[in-house]
Amino acid sequence: MLNATLVHRATPSKWGNAGNSSMNLLKNMLVEKVEQMMEWSSRRSVIRMNGDKFRRFVKAPPRNYSVIVMFTALQPQRQCSVCRQANEEYQVLANSWRYSSAFSNKLFFTVVDYDEGADVFQQLNMNSAPTFMHFPAKGKPKRADTFDLQRIGFASEQLAKWIADRTDVQIRVFRPPNYSGSIALALLVSLVGGLLYLRRNNLEFIYNKTGWAMAALCVVFAMTSGQMWNHIRGPPYAHKNPQNGQVSYIHGSSQAQFVAESHIILLLNAAITMGMVLLNEAATSKGDVGKRRIICLVGLGLVVFFFSFLLSIFRSKYHGYPYSFLIK
Amino acid sequence: MAEQHTAADGKHKASPNAGGSLHGNSRTNAVGGGGGKGGLSGGLAQPAGWQSLLSFTILFLAWLAGFSSRLFAVIRFESIIHEFDPWFNYRSTHHLTTNGFYEFLNWFDERSWYPLGRIVGGTVYPGLMVTAGLIHYVLNLLHLTVHIRDVCVFLAPVFSGLTSISTFLLTRELWNQGAGLLAACFIAIVPGYISRSVAGSFDNEGIAIFALQFTYYLWVKSIKTGSVFWSIGCCLSYFYMVSAWGGYVFIINLIPLHVFVLLLMQRYSRRVYIAYSTFYIVGLVLSMQIPFVGFQPIRTSEHMAAAGVFALLQAYALLQYLKDRLTKQEFQTLFFLGVSLAAGVVFFTIHIPIIASVSEHQPTTWVSFFFDLHILVCTFPAGLWFCIKNVNDERVFVALYAISAVYFAGVMVRLMLTLTPVVCMLSAIAFSSVFEHYLGDDMKRENPPIEDSSDEDDKRSSGNLYDKAGKVRKHVSEQEKAEEGLGPNIKSIVTMLMLMLLMMFAVHCTWVTSNAYSSPSVVLASYNNDGTRNILDDFREAYYWLRQNTDEHARVMSWWDYGYQIAGMANRTTLVDNNTWNNSHIALVGKAMSSNESAAYEIMRSLDVDYVLIIFGGVIGYSGDDINKFLWMVRIAEGEHPKDIRESDYFTPQGEFRVDKAGSPVLLNCLMYKMSYYRFGEMQLDFRTPPGFDRTRNAEIGNKDIKFKHLEEAFTSEHWLVRIYKVKKLENREPLEHKLRSIVPRQKYTSKKTAKRKRGHIRNKLVLKKGKKLNKK
Repeated sequence: MLNATLVHRATPSKWGNAGNSSMNLLKNMLVEKVEQMMEWSSRRSVIRMNGDKFRRFVKAPPRNYSVIVMFTALQPQRQCSVCRQANEEYQVLANSWRYSSAFSNKLFFTVVDYDEGADVFQQLNMNSAPTFMHFPAKGKPKRADTFDLQRIGFASEQLAKWIADRTDVQIRVFRPPNYSGSIALALLVSLVGGLLYLRRNNLEFIYNKTGWAMAALCVVFAMTSGQMWNHIRGPPYAHKNPQNGQVSYIHGSSQAQFVAESHIILLLNAAITMGMVLLNEAATSKGDVGKRRIICLVGLGLVVFFFSFLLSIFRSKYHGYPYSFLIK
Repeated sequence: MAEQHTAADGKHKASPNAGGSLHGNSRTNAVGGGGGKGGLSGGLAQPAGWQSLLSFTILFLAWLAGFSSRLFAVIRFESIIHEFDPWFNYRSTHHLTTNGFYEFLNWFDERSWYPLGRIVGGTVYPGLMVTAGLIHYVLNLLHLTVHIRDVCVFLAPVFSGLTSISTFLLTRELWNQGAGLLAACFIAIVPGYISRSVAGSFDNEGIAIFALQFTYYLWVKSIKTGSVFWSIGCCLSYFYMVSAWGGYVFIINLIPLHVFVLLLMQRYSRRVYIAYSTFYIVGLVLSMQIPFVGFQPIRTSEHMAAAGVFALLQAYALLQYLKDRLTKQEFQTLFFLGVSLAAGVVFFTIHIPIIASVSEHQPTTWVSFFFDLHILVCTFPAGLWFCIKNVNDERVFVALYAISAVYFAGVMVRLMLTLTPVVCMLSAIAFSSVFEHYLGDDMKRENPPIEDSSDEDDKRSSGNLYDKAGKVRKHVSEQEKAEEGLGPNIKSIVTMLMLMLLMMFAVHCTWVTSNAYSSPSVVLASYNNDGTRNILDDFREAYYWLRQNTDEHARVMSWWDYGYQIAGMANRTTLVDNNTWNNSHIALVGKAMSSNESAAYEIMRSLDVDYVLIIFGGVIGYSGDDINKFLWMVRIAEGEHPKDIRESDYFTPQGEFRVDKAGSPVLLNCLMYKMSYYRFGEMQLDFRTPPGFDRTRNAEIGNKDIKFKHLEEAFTSEHWLVRIYKVKKLENREPLEHKLRSIVPRQKYTSKKTAKRKRGHIRNKLVLKKGKKLNKK
């Protein structure tokens, strides 16, 4: 860092002394660098850099372009899931810039991976990834040239806003539409349609009430066990205590839940419902009395036991709830 | 002390009532079943009489239980309106009763959103106010002089009884009388519905759930009978629902969906045609009479599904007619073309509102499902199972109702309210079918009514009506001979455990209502270690102060949360309120709160503000105060004025929001901070903490030396919860901050000496005094 700035400050005086020939040399060097950068960015919207490239194209003058650098650690062994998400957002942003009509050689997007340029990290005294930095065309980066990741987050819209603030280059973020949902839907529809066509002579199964009832119950169980909450909030599957390695499947607060927890609740709800249905079956079905008695008792056991289990889970989550049944 | 006693009493009273009605209910099932049989075989009139007497008693008790379990807040505090929105509803109702209906519809409220005002008549659902006003009018006509406030407070509990009656009617249509009675008892006490209908919560939902259930009952009735009479009844009920709550959109989508699914299941009949055509046309015209709804039903996408299904039904009916005229081949091609086209159109129109509503990110955890519905949430799938297994026209409806409502409740926690009625009905069906089989004696085993009704349905759909009574009876007697029961022991064990579960449900409901849903939030209560209660009545104290001590036309600035309360309780003009229709106006208030004093004074002067009201919880540790909401004010202000307000200025460099010495200087000098902590630095709350220790944020405040230039403290309530400041008028001239430079007046006397002879002197020359040594060393 220190080194680079020294060189930077020293150069203007050198120009003045050396006169025309060195001016030309520098100009050539600049043109060469810009061409090189343009070539890279035409191949990939985000230029990968190692230590040498970084020093040559980003740190060293002369430059007439701004560079946005993402310092990150994308190797799988680093286990940085935030880096991967940030990288996706960054790619979206870089692509929107690359394919926008305003694309020019004034702004480049680059990335430095820790495993390719650890020396850069040391040089910049950087100990967390991902970090976004802006290297302006003139002068060295100021405090505001480091993106405030903690507070703003790394959505590409926010990044674009920050870039517009720093470089006066407006980027309209264009997210590639996600076709996977509609493709899956189309596949499903065609599959169902094909199945119906193949079995067009025997469409009895459409009138099968049990199938429809099962489908309806599946929707109900999914909703009452909070799968929609999981879908929107995206909680972890379960929580592992880092100190003693214990895995807890039930979230301690009533405001949140784990995915595993919602699956447990789904099963409990289904068991209680099945118990109710069995109780009814036992009374209405025609058959051996002994068998029906067993069904009846099994149904009753399912209802009572699993309900008290459900109640005890609820009690452990909702602090201060006074009631319990069979199981504390 | 006495109050508490009555509260405990009420609690006890409520739960045995609920339990008692459940017991009574289960008895009815047995008696009812037996009675029905007796009527069939012997033709005796008496059992039917007993049956209806019991039904009436149970419904009455359910109403009573539902009413009394909603009174916790009234008994603990007093008969007051709760929260925020109810205060506006109350104020409008008051306006309606004093000035009449037409004046209310044309009401332009100049006391809110100063200086813009608000057209109230055209921007509210008037059903609630008209209902309360009508009840008040009738009572006064009978010389029962009740204050309108009491009508408003007790409206929701009274309507909960009507809701349970309409739930009873609907469930009876769907299943049988026993299930209906159980459902009525469930919905009377279930927390999911109590949460929006306790005494004092005078809000749209309180009456809307009744309208919803009653509309569905009339719809099922009109589908069953196919008579225009019931359809028109359904339309009128729908009209009431539209006038009461924006949730009417749920009805206008669910009923067309029902018709659509009936068509898909090839259950089309004249009854469906008559019911839906009448409902759509009359309902559409009626719903457009509400000023706030206006032309939405023919413009917006959420009403398009109804129109699409209407067109589809007409086309389907036409095809049915053509079927007799055309050859089979022609007919088939025409039919498939028409149906696929229409289905495509309908599918897409139905799809749009559902996608739109998913964007609400307030999903529900399983805990809130269990909290609000307890055992019902685990047993209602069983009821759904029975309904689908024994399907007929109206059970299709309840299945669709359940699935759509459970989806919406999963997406958005507030829509638990629409799920609750259907959960009560389906759970009642599940429990009632269990009790039917396990409560009766072995000797006279009843024919399960489920089979009966599905038989009946199958016959009806196939169109063959033959005398079935004889056959069914024969069937029963055969069954009796062939089978033996499960034995009295098992039956009584099952019954007892089921009753036990229901009792736990009743206890749970009472506990939840008492602890979670009965706080008026206008009056706060805190409990000491020995169980005695302190009431913090600061809000009303401050609002009453405003009402008594300020000019009638004084304008009060506060954050929008308190707008309705200031208008309702203090009767003063507000700048912004809970009807957040104008964001830039709110942003202006937010900007004033988050600027420094002199910049804020400019804004306040331009808005003619006389008083500023803030909520401060640092003394008692109330977490819902304005400093905790402050970042929202900053954000909203930044959205409209990004040049003047920046959110990052209010954080420390580490990105924290703190009020102590480490806090950002912009925060420590903004108007909200200064108003909250004015004179707070002198206050020592207890001996363990330094003076100026904020209990809510657990920090010693960073700016203890606060002085105002343009404001002065006007009022601070007992626990400092509400602080009111007066905005000073402009002084004649602002005094300068610094001292004027003292200029020695030049002497008038001018010397006549010439320049040459003038003796010069050095200005401010140090005068040395001789004769004293500074250092004696």
